[in-house]
Order: sequence, then C-alpha cells, then structure tokens
Amino acid sequence: MNVAELIRLALSRLGAARLRAALTMLGVIIGVASVVALVAVGQGATSGITSRLQGLGTNLLTVNPGASFSGFTRGAAGSATTLKLADADAIARLTGVAAVAPQVSTQALVVAGTQNTTTSVVGTTAAYATVNAFSVWQGSFLTDPVVEHGLRVAVLGATTADTLGLDASAIGSTITVNGLPFEVVGIMQAKGSTGPVSQDDQVLIPISTAQGHLVAGDSVRSIGVSVATADQIEAVKASIASTLDQRHGLAAGATADYSIQDQAQLLSTVGEISTLLTVLLAGIASISLVVGGIGIMNIMLVSVRERTREIGIRKAVGARSRDILAQFLVEALTISLIGGIIGIVVGVAVSAVIGALAGWGFIFNPLTVVAAVGFSLAVGVVFGVWPARTAARLDPIVALRYE
Amino acid sequence: MTPLLELEAVRRVYDMGRVSVEALRGIDLAVAEGEFLAVVGPSGSGKSTLMHILGCLDRPTSGAYRFAGTAVAELTDDQLAELRSRAIGFVFQTYNLLPRTSALENVATPLLYQGVSRRERLARARAALERLGLGDRVDHEPSELSGGQQQRAAIARALVTEPRLLLADEPTGNLDTVSGAEVIGVLHELNAAGMTVVLITHDADVAEAATRQVHVRDGRLVA
Repeated sequence: MNVAELIRLALSRLGAARLRAALTMLGVIIGVASVVALVAVGQGATSGITSRLQGLGTNLLTVNPGASFSGFTRGAAGSATTLKLADADAIARLTGVAAVAPQVSTQALVVAGTQNTTTSVVGTTAAYATVNAFSVWQGSFLTDPVVEHGLRVAVLGATTADTLGLDASAIGSTITVNGLPFEVVGIMQAKGSTGPVSQDDQVLIPISTAQGHLVAGDSVRSIGVSVATADQIEAVKASIASTLDQRHGLAAGATADYSIQDQAQLLSTVGEISTLLTVLLAGIASISLVVGGIGIMNIMLVSVRERTREIGIRKAVGARSRDILAQFLVEALTISLIGGIIGIVVGVAVSAVIGALAGWGFIFNPLTVVAAVGFSLAVGVVFGVWPARTAARLDPIVALRYE
Repeated sequence: MTPLLELEAVRRVYDMGRVSVEALRGIDLAVAEGEFLAVVGPSGSGKSTLMHILGCLDRPTSGAYRFAGTAVAELTDDQLAELRSRAIGFVFQTYNLLPRTSALENVATPLLYQGVSRRERLARARAALERLGLGDRVDHEPSELSGGQQQRAAIARALVTEPRLLLADEPTGNLDTVSGAEVIGVLHELNAAGMTVVLITHDADVAEAATRQVHVRDGRLVA
C-alpha cells in the first residue's frame, strides 16, 4: 500500500465522522495556534524593546564610577566619587570619541509660578543632546559658553514642562530649583520612556551650575560617551579603560574603580531575556499541544475498539499487520497535520492582530511554521503509534468474532 | 497429483489459562483441486476451528497442514496474510462487509493489499459484482442491500482476487431459504467453473449441494 492510498483511506474515514474529526483536531489547532501566536508576540515584543533602546542614542558608552569602600565594606556600584570632570575631558581627547557628556544628578523641588514638582535635576554639558540622541522642541539647548560660565539656565523635559503647566511661551520665564531662580531656555522633544526612568521627566542645567549649587563635591555620576562609528566601540572602550587606569593610578590587574557599559551589551542582555521569555511562553503553549495529542490518542483508541471487526475483515482478506499499523497511524497523522495547518493559519492571524494593536507590526517567522508542522506531525506519531499498534496486533479470529 | 489442501494429524489446543481445550484432536484430510467439499458438524464440534486452520487464519498446535504444498505452520503472520491475500477467498455467515462503504469499495478491498492500482481495483471489483448480478448495486452501502445481496457482494469480494480456494462458513445461516438456495447455486456454478470450494455448515440439507461430505464431531472426523 502506498502513502496516497493510505491518505485516501484516512480522509474517507474522517469524512465519515466529520464532527468527531473536527473536535479531535480542535485540540491540535489550539495547541499549534497558541505556540505560533505566542512565539510571534515574543519576537514582536523583543523587536519593539530593541528599537526603543536604540532610541537611547547610538554607539553610546556609559562610564560609571565603581563601588566605594568604607573600611572593608563594599558600597553599591556607582557610589564611589572617583570619577571627575577632568576624566571626562581626558576621554573627550581620545580618538574615535565624537562627544562626551558628563552628568551629575539630584532630586530637587522645581517651582514654576503656582505649580511645583519634585524631579531629577541633571547637570550636564552641551554634548548631552548629541550623546543621547535628544532634540529640543522649543528654545535652545545648553551651550558651551553657558556651561563654562555656570549660568543659571534650565532646559525642561517634555513631561516636566507639562507637569509645571509650561508651554512654548514659557521660554525666557523663571522657575526655581530648590529655591534658586533659573531661566528656562528650552523644552525638549518628548522621547518616550524606557523602563521605569523617563528621560522626559527631568530638568537639565549646566554641570558647573549643578556642582556649584546643588550637589556636593566635584565628582560626576556618569559620563556618556558617543563613539564616532560602531566598529570603533571596542577600541574606544579599551582606550577609555587605559586612560582611566592611568589617571586613577591603578596598577595593572587592580580592581577598576569604574565600569564601562555599552549599548550593545545592554541590547544583547535584553535580547537574551526576551528570548528566554519567548521560549517560556512557547513551552507553556506546547502543553496545550500535548493535551491535543492525548485527545488524538483517546479518539484513536476508541476508534480501534469500534472498528475491531473492520480490522478482522481486513486481515482476513490479506492485510498484513503493518498495513493496519500504517492505516491507523496515517489516520492519526492526517488529523494532526490538518489540525496543525489550521492552527498555523489561526496563530498567524492572531499574532497579526496583536502586532497591529501593540504597534510592532506583523512579524512572520517561517521557522515557526516549519517547527509547528513538525511538532504536530510528531504529536500524531507519538500519540498515534500506540492505538495503531493495538490495532495491528489484533488476532484476526478474535477480531472477526468481536461484536 | 498433490492435493490442494492436506492435513495430517492436525490438533489445535486452546490454552485458556488453567484449562486447555482441545478443539481438534487429530484430523487427516485431503482436498483435491476443483473439489466441492462440505464439512458438516454441530456447533462445538470444532468445525469453526478447522475452518480457521484451512483458511490460514490460525496454525495447528501440532500436526501438518500443507496448502498447495506449502507447510503453513512454518509461515510468519505476514506470510499467512500474503497467502490469504493471494489464494483464499472467505465467505462468512454474517457477510462481514465493511460498514458505510460502498459495495464496490468493499469488493475492491482485498486488491488494495495486493498493491493493485486503484483504477484496476475498481474495474475488477465492478466485473466481480456484475458476475454475481449486482451490477446495478455497486454504489450501495451494505445497509442498503438485502441479506442475499450482501452475501453475494461478499462472494464477489472473495472472488475478486481469483483465489484457489473459496472457504464458505455457514454462508446461508442468516438467509431465508430462497436467498440461501441462490447462494448455494452460486457456489455450485463457481465449482463447475473449476473453483475449489469448502463449505462449512451444520445443515445437512445445505451440505447436500457438495460433491463430498466429511462430518466433524468432538474434534475428529467421523465417517
């Protein structure tokens, strides 16, 4: 018997019991559809997060101070005060560095007329906008002369401006930060939040002003470094490290009192996490595929029992055990394959709808489809073999007498 | 000339756990090619067991059975299936047609297991049905046929492979006398055309149709 004959036999049998076949397929349909949809949703979410992270600034390196020590106790990372403005200047002179933006920050009460808010006040330089891919909506950004002279000017994040009830007409007006008057020179373009920290809810002031009035000491909280081209990132990281080692008088092999994070690292970490989540989702969804497979096995076992006499007749007229095995196995496979194909269509449709609603568009991965078809065939084989063997092993005499 | 069927001291013991039942207690029988033999016996005599062995559905516990010279006891299950497929046609008391399957597909089924193409299967099945006067019933399912028509369809299925032996187990048992006589008439015609027929029955009148009769009682042949 060839495969075409077996498929014809299976289809005519399924056609004779349509409702039963449809209900059996439903288990596989739901299983495959949920695997396909959840994998697509996982991949959509990953690409959505990745594109937002890329919006943080391209080729961005962030230098943070290391942990402080008091006695033998290591403090939190970033608590050390070893990173200075002069370090930022030194980094700015390295080859491959396009822009450097040192930052200090603190929480402060900001008042504009009758409105007030407590938000983060960031002291930085004119390069901040370049490094973080930020643009100004109204007015202008901090300029080098302003930073140099430590003027009391402020650029507001979009959210902060909104909270304070300030719009384009507020350029040139005065707000107070911890009681000190600042002139508003610009309002930033909204950028959207990434994680819990919004870059739109902050007040940017010259770093010299911040160090003079709002934060103690001359250390910086972090240094943002924009690298000219992506393939220079590793080289720039290395030269920043050697510059800082030298400036901080660190012996070779000593624990660094700073750390350098790069965007690519962050991206790959996020990628790993979301891949893990996708696998987790697919794993949960495949439980329903297993349940669907058990449904097939159940129906096939019932079917073998119901058709015991048919099996006896077929054996009497010359069917070998493997003919019977093949007949029942192909029947189970046909159910699971048809169910799998319908499941793929449903899953792709569902993921297209979710993708449209979530705004990351339609992501279609042919690999998922291949895997889903393979999976449903595997389900058919695994859960079809036992009933088929049961059928094939029936003694023709016993089967013929079966009522 | 070698007989088509040859049994020597055939015994068949069913092992039922604690007790074993000896259904055949030593049968010696030879059936020549072209013979029409009736195996007659009451229920429980062992004639069904004998029919299973003759039809290669079962093997003797001891003794020898040769079908056209082949020692059946030495064949594997698959080889037995092959032998049934090529050389033996069965007719059962309860017809044993596949339900919800047209007469044509039913009759074509044995050819499926010989690897015959679908086109040829259907052509040969149609010819067999026409030969038994069911040419206008090919698309009917068993439930749409009378008992006599179902039994004739079953005979068509037995004949479609052109077997060397037609084995009929109480073929008239479920039929009224008119249909029964019709079926016996068909067996007669087939035998006249050269087919070896073995008819198993408990009915002495039905057995009259055969050219030779053997009687089974308590697992043995009696005169």
